Amino acid sequence: MASEARAVELKNVSRWYGNVVAVNDISFDLGAGITGLLGPNGAGKSTLLHMLAGLLKPSNGDALINGEAAWKNPDIYKVTGFVPESEAVYPFLTGFEFVRLSARLQGLANPDAAALKALEEVELMDAKDRAVGGYSKGMKQRIKIAAAIVHEPAILLLDEPFNGADPRQRLRMMEMLQRMAADGATIVFSSHILEEVERLAENVLVIVSGRLAASGDFHEIRRLMTDRPHTIRLRSSDDRRLAAALIGQESVFGVEIEGEGLTVQSSDLVSFAHVAPSVARGAGVSVFELSPTDESLESVFSYLVQR
Amino acid sequence: MTGFIFALTLRQLVFRRSTLLLLLLATIPVLVGIVFKIGESNEDPERFTVRVLCVWLAVTTVLPLTALLFGTSVIGDELEDGTVIYLLTKPVERWRILVPKVCAAWLMTTLLVVSSIAVSSLVVLGGDAGKVILGFGLAAAVGALAYISVFVMLSIVTSRALIAGLVFVFIWEGAVSGIFEGVRFLSIRHYTLGIADWLTKVRSDVLDAYVSGATAVVLSLVVIVIAVVYANRRLQTVEIREAT
Repeated sequence: MASEARAVELKNVSRWYGNVVAVNDISFDLGAGITGLLGPNGAGKSTLLHMLAGLLKPSNGDALINGEAAWKNPDIYKVTGFVPESEAVYPFLTGFEFVRLSARLQGLANPDAAALKALEEVELMDAKDRAVGGYSKGMKQRIKIAAAIVHEPAILLLDEPFNGADPRQRLRMMEMLQRMAADGATIVFSSHILEEVERLAENVLVIVSGRLAASGDFHEIRRLMTDRPHTIRLRSSDDRRLAAALIGQESVFGVEIEGEGLTVQSSDLVSFAHVAPSVARGAGVSVFELSPTDESLESVFSYLVQR
Repeated sequence: MTGFIFALTLRQLVFRRSTLLLLLLATIPVLVGIVFKIGESNEDPERFTVRVLCVWLAVTTVLPLTALLFGTSVIGDELEDGTVIYLLTKPVERWRILVPKVCAAWLMTTLLVVSSIAVSSLVVLGGDAGKVILGFGLAAAVGALAYISVFVMLSIVTSRALIAGLVFVFIWEGAVSGIFEGVRFLSIRHYTLGIADWLTKVRSDVLDAYVSGATAVVLSLVVIVIAVVYANRRLQTVEIREAT
């Protein structure tokens, strides 16, 4: 018996622009629930979403929606909604007209009612009669989401949907997506912000330099990120003495003195942060500066790729 | 469904800043007509209306420039700013997006050019302007559709459609077809003049088109069909890259 097609599926998908590889041989399949595409800017998340939305042709492999090719297949939009990252909207349309246009193009029986319902979902009823050209960035994000969900799609693809939204709006949007997921929708969103993905996604795909660096449960990936080796830079009143004191600590596996200051390699950042002050105090050394040097998301992602 | 896209496109065109410039451009033949009427010229009014106002100004300048700006913007601008995503990510066949956009650009172009021809001809010829307005008006409507089809197609094929269109209008149709007569069979301007000559039936010393009326109609239809069919094919495979 043939297995049932997954809502969203990529099979060995690559995409390149000339000599630049944007997405490199990525495969995954997703069902109902919320999946976060996490990765630094330029990692290939948007390219991936655009291929799933049928807006870019994979250079190699297949991007499938419900088992059907997304490319050159307008029928997928009956069950799919796409929210682009771009802020561009039709500036002369009111919020209501913008969402209703989407409802009409979806061929809905009652576009006005569907548009009002979607506007209510994103809490833009108060601004529905204002031209969207005058909306704030956060409001534009919400009106784009309203236009994408007006036909209550089973699959929703969102490219950096929380950009520009204030914390309250972000929370409400997350609640709305969680409601949709609870009702059985497949939601895929991209973000370069770890905390956004942590709060919303049960499943995470980490994309770095066009490759799938890690995938699975968020907590597992978070553990990998936390347990990685860390590099900490210190400046003190006596670097040599501090180095001698620190090397004996369990959480430290390397110390290097260079110029002014020292660099410590630690396997456990949290433990090191706890013991470092007392060790320094015990050695009679004053610490002037203590800073992790590799806490940027890029370095975390690079570590995942190298594993 | 196509009606919504048609209405949306009309609003896009009306709200464009360049539409005001095109409106000013369309008034030039009228102003020239007023100057002619006020001045005491010995020139035959019909000859002046046809040769200067209709051929040189309306058909050669106002028509292609208006069609160029409207034609390259209806889809080209949306491809450039990304708003086309809101149309392309709908369960709508691409020709249902293309055709209403072509129609909206054609309507706007025709309204401006035919109004310019009608008012300027009335200024000079008064009650005798009927056949000139009818002939050049219909010819301009056909020419506008041919130009729009080509420019919409160009805007899907290249991001430099405006430059390509200017080269087509001023280099190909202006300079090259002026030197090599055979090229006039590949010139929308000459199709328009052929149809106008056919319909107005003015004296040959007033207007003597190179392409006959029937040939011009057939060639215009061929250009329109080829351009729209090819534009539709390209629109089906047009790729939208992420925002940069």
